[in-house]
Amino acid sequence: MLSIVSSPSIRPYLLLAIVILLLAAVDFGHGRFLSLGTAYSALQSFSTFGLVALGLGLVMLIGEFDLSVAGVFGLAGCIALLTGPDHFWVGMLCAVGTGAAFGFGQGLLIVLLDLGSVPITLGGLLTATGIAYVITHNRAISSDNLDLAMTLNDPVVGLFSLRSLVALGIFVVAAAIFATTRLGRDLIATGSDRKAAIIAGVSVKKLLLGAFAFSGFMAAMGGAMLSYGLASATPSGLADVLVPAAAAAILGGVSLAGGSGTPLGIVAGILTLTVLRSGLNAVAAPPFAHDLATGLILFAVAVFDAPYLWRRWAALHIHFVYYQDK
Amino acid sequence: MTTMRGIVLAALLVWAVLTPSFLSMPSLTALLTTASVIGCMAAGMTFITIGGNVMSFALGATAAASAFLFTALLNASGFAAAFAGSLVFGGLVTGIQGLVIGSLRANPIIISIAANILIYGAASWLTGNETIYAASTGTSQLLGGTIGGVPIEFLIFLAIITLGQTILSFTVFGRNLLLIGSGWTTAEATGLPIARTVFLSYVWAGVFAAISGVLLAIRYNQGNMALAVQYDYDAIAAVLVGGTPIQGGDGSMIRTLVGVLAISVIQVVLLLHGFEEEWRHLVTGLLVLLVVILYSGQRI
Repeated sequence: MLSIVSSPSIRPYLLLAIVILLLAAVDFGHGRFLSLGTAYSALQSFSTFGLVALGLGLVMLIGEFDLSVAGVFGLAGCIALLTGPDHFWVGMLCAVGTGAAFGFGQGLLIVLLDLGSVPITLGGLLTATGIAYVITHNRAISSDNLDLAMTLNDPVVGLFSLRSLVALGIFVVAAAIFATTRLGRDLIATGSDRKAAIIAGVSVKKLLLGAFAFSGFMAAMGGAMLSYGLASATPSGLADVLVPAAAAAILGGVSLAGGSGTPLGIVAGILTLTVLRSGLNAVAAPPFAHDLATGLILFAVAVFDAPYLWRRWAALHIHFVYYQDK
Repeated sequence: MTTMRGIVLAALLVWAVLTPSFLSMPSLTALLTTASVIGCMAAGMTFITIGGNVMSFALGATAAASAFLFTALLNASGFAAAFAGSLVFGGLVTGIQGLVIGSLRANPIIISIAANILIYGAASWLTGNETIYAASTGTSQLLGGTIGGVPIEFLIFLAIITLGQTILSFTVFGRNLLLIGSGWTTAEATGLPIARTVFLSYVWAGVFAAISGVLLAIRYNQGNMALAVQYDYDAIAAVLVGGTPIQGGDGSMIRTLVGVLAISVIQVVLLLHGFEEEWRHLVTGLLVLLVVILYSGQRI
């Protein structure tokens, strides 16, 4: 039983199922939770955090971390609205190009100088945010192109929107590549044991570069899509994405130590968070309920994954039995 | 490395002093007060970094909650109770995280992210995201003043640095923390009290973060959860720029003091040279990158 719960390949889906069942039980007979509206809004926030979580998740999978996603997310939104207020593709291209280049640059520093990813991407986070402040002159930008915003967010078959369809499409492609090509295995091998992976012939440096470029690309895409969808952008970012994206990846079975996690697991992780958010809204729970629930789940996952938990438990048990015998 | 650091700092100082109006009272006072708030949190962060637990994402939230609690208690039962209460609160909230990290070896980053979400969630539950204003500002106004032209906030920051350095250098706890930071396995084999030491390092981190919250509450005469947002990043930036390595096991409060002052001086000098406020983040970011790159390859 315990091995099932702690297995990273099953737990994300189990968590998601529990959240859905609990919310459905709370809402039983009201029909507020199991509705198209709730699913639509869960998918909308999926499209905001999902892409960031996918990029960050893959970086975590190889045993690194990318703090800069939050900065790139905000920067890309500003770049998109500055370069292409009326030309979606121009703005999008500039934004994701910048994001990928930014991520690649950080990857280059990490690989060439053999540096830790936390300090480099912390510098990257502050630098990306700083660039956003400088290019916007510390002001919020808004676009008059409300038609585009409507098009991106209009419900498609009641459930999806263009934004969430794009995000889902990217996840389908990522999951397919991960499951069917060598890339997925190489990523896991690199995250599990980097030296062994190098000996086995994995080009770890290329993978690291690719993962950071991908993470920047995804963060930028998420940020640019959100800014087009809201027709506005601010240098401080329209949403704090680092905490939810990292939480989603961790709930999705990605280990911070590297070596475990899949794109599908990350989907389950993000959906757990977004279904929780939309579901609690739907059943008219107060706004803080979502934060408390998310925080508690994340705390529980961290405690549950703690390497010394079972050791302490066993020690406590022995202690107890010993004193009982006496 | 030490000589190079000295040269860079000396150059920075000369550049600052040569900048017109840098030595004028208002700009120096502004520099020192801003540096003090970030600095107290950075001093707390130093304990976490040295102990090998990288950084915390929850110190900013803790500081904001402490500022709120301080203002509420100040209105209800006076300065002493407010000060003590918020420090105990900070130590407790952060100490719980240290307990889980130290005794179960839970991942410090995940725990602090969870704590960040929980603190903001609980605060919005308990306070309804309102701002609370200090009714009487007698004692706290005193703390916002200056002694001989030096802001009292900065003197508090210096006292915190002194206290922190004393703890690190002259207590068994401090020495143990440095050893644990340089290698958990070795520390464990040696039989060091890891759980207790990591727990204590988080308690101190929380107490210092609470002090930076109190300084914020005094400066703005109010408490709300929007204070100290993103301060975690400024704090860890100061720790790294000072030269404490992110992998732990080395570092000092003096380095953090240097890091805080270096970042603040550069920001003020740029401001005086006509760069707008918006360049602040960019410069800090580039500085962190530069320092991290410069320190690469050397296990300082």
